[in-house]
Amino acid sequence: MNPDGTIVARKLCKSFGRHQVLRDIDLTVAAGEISCIIGPSGSGKSTLLRCVNGLETVDRGVLQVNGEDFGYVEKDDAYHAVRPQRLAEQRARIGMVFQQFNLFPNMTAESNVMAGPVLVQKKNRATCREQAQQLLARVGLKGCGHKYPAQLSGGQQQRVAIARALAMEPTIMLFDEPTSALDPERVGEVLAVMRDLAGNGMTMLLVTHEMGFAREVADEILFMDDGIAVERGDARELLANPREKRTQAFLERVL
Amino acid sequence: MSPLLAEEKKRITPKRPRDYVAWAVAIVIVAALVWTAVTNENYRWPVVFSYFTTRTILNGLLVTLLLTVASMGLGTLLGLVLAVMRMSHQRPISGLAQLYITFFRGTPVLVQLVFWFNIAALYPHLSIGIPFTDVSTPVDVNAIMTPMTAAIVGLTLNQAAYMSEIIRGGFASVSRGQHEAAESLGMSAFTKLRHVIIPQTMPAIIPATGNQVIGMLKETSLVSVLGVADLLQSAQAIYARNFQTIPLLIVASLWYLIMTLVLSVPQSMIERRFSRSTRARLTPAATAGEPGAGQSVATTRESLL
Repeated sequence: MNPDGTIVARKLCKSFGRHQVLRDIDLTVAAGEISCIIGPSGSGKSTLLRCVNGLETVDRGVLQVNGEDFGYVEKDDAYHAVRPQRLAEQRARIGMVFQQFNLFPNMTAESNVMAGPVLVQKKNRATCREQAQQLLARVGLKGCGHKYPAQLSGGQQQRVAIARALAMEPTIMLFDEPTSALDPERVGEVLAVMRDLAGNGMTMLLVTHEMGFAREVADEILFMDDGIAVERGDARELLANPREKRTQAFLERVL
Repeated sequence: MSPLLAEEKKRITPKRPRDYVAWAVAIVIVAALVWTAVTNENYRWPVVFSYFTTRTILNGLLVTLLLTVASMGLGTLLGLVLAVMRMSHQRPISGLAQLYITFFRGTPVLVQLVFWFNIAALYPHLSIGIPFTDVSTPVDVNAIMTPMTAAIVGLTLNQAAYMSEIIRGGFASVSRGQHEAAESLGMSAFTKLRHVIIPQTMPAIIPATGNQVIGMLKETSLVSVLGVADLLQSAQAIYARNFQTIPLLIVASLWYLIMTLVLSVPQSMIERRFSRSTRARLTPAATAGEPGAGQSVATTRESLL
């Protein structure tokens, strides 16, 4: 079985100083599956997502992405950190979309989308430009390639950011609250792009507050609170009939 | 009755007395300065003009420019090294850089210059060689520490401390998210710095460096205490012989003024260019209607043309 596009976490632990933000988290995402992580702020959901592409290091536990140990290799009694070059290779297969977009302001939209393929994969510039134009068209930004991020709205910037991540042809897409920094009227256009991605079988793991979107597209939902995976299950089932008291209380407030 | 409707009438703010007073005061001050410069014979303008382009003065001018370029160039290189050290996660490395910066920014540059000139009193002999072997070449410090060397060493080491803080500030102005975005695309540390981070540090670093160059140009006049024949020292050498102190100081001042004015032209162009790119960033971006309904704003690159 092809392990591409899978995420497996077992008993994942992570502390910032004395504050433990992840406590024995278990998470499984199958290829092509869409998983949402929900929970109050400070619950560790963003940290969990950031661990999956190495923006945060894991203290203990198992983390396998695309079927191989991520960022570390198991040897004897310990996990040993891999060389930066190897980590970069693993990261290049995972797309990441940030809350604050984080487009490169010194590059046009098109150059942003081309940055990965040209600078990392060392692909032919002309081919990449063509691919970038196709991706921009796919996220509804045909003809915006020459613009700088400062000239685009938040929703447009986020769609460029999604195109930039897709340009690396990732096996997995991670979204860290992709619509939280947007004007309410801009949320829809970004969700539409994500819906399109979901429909095309991309493995997606997202942290979100958009419960409606989660109900509509997610296969599974993980509810986290205070670093603990409180409840995990089928998206519609969990939102309709949460088993845990903590989940019920949270959903009552946000729905 | 006015033929205009009330809605069409212009609104006028009457000039107040203080608007005229400000002009009057400024005109009086400038007139007084010109009057005294023209009528007071002690200025000796003919002497000023006769010495303005003499060989000694022009040579001094060249030395001043050389000192500025040399200590700015070397100081920036060393400053870059210090900035990288200062940003290191290794405490001993960043500590060393911090110690250097504290020391060189905490003492007057004039004292540092005199100190370097007299360094032979502290270390009369240096030997350059391979540590723990007999291979070495003794160097007489007194012989190599000429006034010119002392001037370049002193100005460079001082400038490096300031430049390192400017460079570090440039890097601090790039948000953490930019590093994360580059890393998540799988960029190596080098690619990330070269294509993403360093270009974004420039708007903070370049204008500040321009200011440092102008500051350095004037700071070089301090080396006259070491007897380096820079612009000021050349003027002093002349008035030591002919006692035309004021006219020669005016000659030197005028040259400093001309050089700073010349330098401030590219400086203000650079500043305007970078402030424009910041303004573009603040311009309200695209409104409704996709795709590409964004307001057309001059981009950084276009505005350069």
